[in-house]
Amino acid sequence: MRLLVVLLAGLLALAASAEPVSATKAVSLRQAVDDLTLAAANHQLVLVKVQPIDSALVKRGFGDPHVRILFIGSETAVRWAEAADPRLLNMLPLRLTLIERDGRVTVLSDDFEPWLREFPTGEAHLFLKAWQAELRSTLEDFVGQ
Amino acid sequence: MSFPSRFFFLLAVLLWAGLARTMEPEPMILSAIAAGRNMDQTIAALTQAVVNHNYTFVRQQAIDSRLVPYAREVRSVRLFYFCNFAKMDRALRLDPRAAQLMPCRITLVETPTGVDLMAVNPVWATQNIDNPPLHEECRELKRDYLAILEEATL
Repeated sequence: MRLLVVLLAGLLALAASAEPVSATKAVSLRQAVDDLTLAAANHQLVLVKVQPIDSALVKRGFGDPHVRILFIGSETAVRWAEAADPRLLNMLPLRLTLIERDGRVTVLSDDFEPWLREFPTGEAHLFLKAWQAELRSTLEDFVGQ
Repeated sequence: MSFPSRFFFLLAVLLWAGLARTMEPEPMILSAIAAGRNMDQTIAALTQAVVNHNYTFVRQQAIDSRLVPYAREVRSVRLFYFCNFAKMDRALRLDPRAAQLMPCRITLVETPTGVDLMAVNPVWATQNIDNPPLHEECRELKRDYLAILEEATL
């Protein structure tokens, strides 16, 4: 029985860590971009690019997915990645996916779990954890605004 | 060995081979090397390869673009973005979390001997998303990445 509980706890912990960083707020897509830009700035992160894939698709005759992508980053993160492992550069600038549904916007980061599994120790692991924590506090700030 | 035994033995071998193939871990990064080429030559080849595979060039930028003044941008690491809008539409209809694969991107790193090209393997990146139809899209996207990388570095 105890073994079962331990196994279950392990599985739950794994499932929890597998989730990308996320937050939801009752706001329009446009307002979410503004709020996120401000929240990112509060954490020394700069808005690098807004990728309006929703309007790009609509312009080409597809339906509106109500999805937009934001890229945020910092010079420090780039220098860390260059020094630790060039494969980490593939994660930068950090991506936030904005999904609008029923008057609410959900913001999702990329899934850090496979990255952390790929880099289980060392500098790269610490940097990934730091970026994950930075995104988490940025999204908390976003929700709190 | 009798016919039924041989049949079941063959079946078991095929099943094992199939299972072993599906169990093979996906690499995190899909990569290629453009040996003896510089960044501009590689980007030109990549642009052509992308178009040849029915993708549209979106943009390219330095890894630290907008993070440092333009004059200080690193010239040796560039991000190359491209997209196939029909595939993007299909993937987003299946699962909005597919946005983490969009737009498609290849990171180029110039070295003394050429240019390294890297892309995050979409099959690897979406392994935690429980959506089998999306996984099929990701396998197709992976094939496209590999074909583009190969053509760009020929």
